[in-house]
Amino acid sequence: MQAAAMGAVLLGPRWQGAPGWLVLPPQLDSSSALELVERALQEASLLGEAPLPEAIALAPGPWPLRVEELRGLAQKLAAHGARLVALCSDDPRSRVAAAALGLRTCSPWPTAGLAAEAGKALDSSRPGLTLKRGTLRSGDHLEAEASVLVLGDVNPGARVSAGGHVLVWGRLRGMAHAGCKGDGDARIVALQLRPLQLRIAGSVARGPEDSPLPGMAEQASLVNGMIRLDPAPPVWPLESSPPAGRSTLGESAAETFGLNLPRPQAKP
Amino acid sequence: MTAQSSRFILICSGKGGVGKTTLTANLGIALAHQGARTAVLDADFGLRNLDLLLGLENRIVYTAQEVLAGSCRLDQALVKHKQEPNLALLPAGNPRMLEWLKPDDMRKIAAMVGEQFDYVLIDAPAGVEGGFRNAMAAATEAIVITTPEVSAVRDADRVIGLLNCEGVKPIQLVLNRVRPKMMASQEMLAVDDVTDILALPLLGLVVEDEQVIVSTNRGEPLTLGAGDSPAARAYSNVARRLRGEDVPLIDPSKERQGLRARIGRLMQTKIF
Repeated sequence: MQAAAMGAVLLGPRWQGAPGWLVLPPQLDSSSALELVERALQEASLLGEAPLPEAIALAPGPWPLRVEELRGLAQKLAAHGARLVALCSDDPRSRVAAAALGLRTCSPWPTAGLAAEAGKALDSSRPGLTLKRGTLRSGDHLEAEASVLVLGDVNPGARVSAGGHVLVWGRLRGMAHAGCKGDGDARIVALQLRPLQLRIAGSVARGPEDSPLPGMAEQASLVNGMIRLDPAPPVWPLESSPPAGRSTLGESAAETFGLNLPRPQAKP
Repeated sequence: MTAQSSRFILICSGKGGVGKTTLTANLGIALAHQGARTAVLDADFGLRNLDLLLGLENRIVYTAQEVLAGSCRLDQALVKHKQEPNLALLPAGNPRMLEWLKPDDMRKIAAMVGEQFDYVLIDAPAGVEGGFRNAMAAATEAIVITTPEVSAVRDADRVIGLLNCEGVKPIQLVLNRVRPKMMASQEMLAVDDVTDILALPLLGLVVEDEQVIVSTNRGEPLTLGAGDSPAARAYSNVARRLRGEDVPLIDPSKERQGLRARIGRLMQTKIF
């Protein structure tokens, strides 16, 4: 995802008592620094990550910051319980602005290492699994590069889109888009699969109308270009690129409990 | 009384017309009646109604706007209720306040009010834009009110998401305009359907009651009168639960109907 790759990155403190780092991306684009930080904070709170470190140092890279912008940034962070303490930049105007607000300033020598670390954080997040604890409510939109696991409900009006699988340990009643970058092998699995709409790669389907049988997890997968619901396998897929054995498991389950066949509870 | 021990409660719904202002007025009266010093703060600057519902429209001299500008003292702007001296209203200023009011102003004014009152009820405007965000800034807890309709529940869900993001908690739920018969015949969302989606503790159930309309037009909240209407009872129960009393909640759609049940309930009623 372009937006995520170009976003600001939050790094935790390296030792007890040290400030956390907020690193802005190395290339300038049309969005303002405030927007980038806001997006990063929103993402962090949407993913239910640990609270921000109390003190935060800002490494703006090439982004010029004036007093108003810095003040806005500090307020944004304060609203999330973090305090802006320092600015590491080689832009003289940004440093003057920081000094005017009583922030510590330093040369950007630590940022070279930080930029590499931030890049690594982005790279390592790519193949992994995004974990979201808690309910996604109407209007929330969770986006992930790879697979996403929601420990909670996805309410009507909320959206989850992932490059890989969408897994919901709860009720999926909103909209889910798996394989949003074209991965047709991506699947949507939920303890209760009653979404408003399902999308896998380029295919779209409405959710089923009938109420589900209690206690039966289901999965949606793409079979011959159509989205099909089957009972979920006992082992949920976690990686985006599935092992070779996956499709056979999927096929056999689909054959046994195909959507057009009677439900497993009924006599075959 | 210090600001720490007073409770700043936001009353919000997202959707309009579900009963925010009615709940604020009735809850304010009920809390005051139960002995708590209560202030109701009208944060709906665009469409202010709270003064109307409380019957205080003609007593307003100063508003929150003058207090913020420093052209009057807070006590001058607070309008004491006629029959319930424990209750005061801080009226909203003119609609143009929407253009310049900031969350910080709201926090400032709430802190001032909090110094004199135990409960500060903030009547939020409908929607999730600037006006709502201002109102939310001053709150430390919230009551979300909704009706058993799909659209109202969806909007309430969105509002709860925003409250969670801002760290406002606890958030409790009041379900308004419940029609037990329609619920029993499954023509309306059931109480469980609503709490299933919103996943909030239920603070009260208010049944649909024609008396609410009458009282609104008169400017006399239901909880004020001696009349024993079902909605008035529900509102004062919400107030008692808010104060920490353990008042059992009865799902009206599961309550027994019929003459025998009614007589049974009548015999259980305490007569002083």
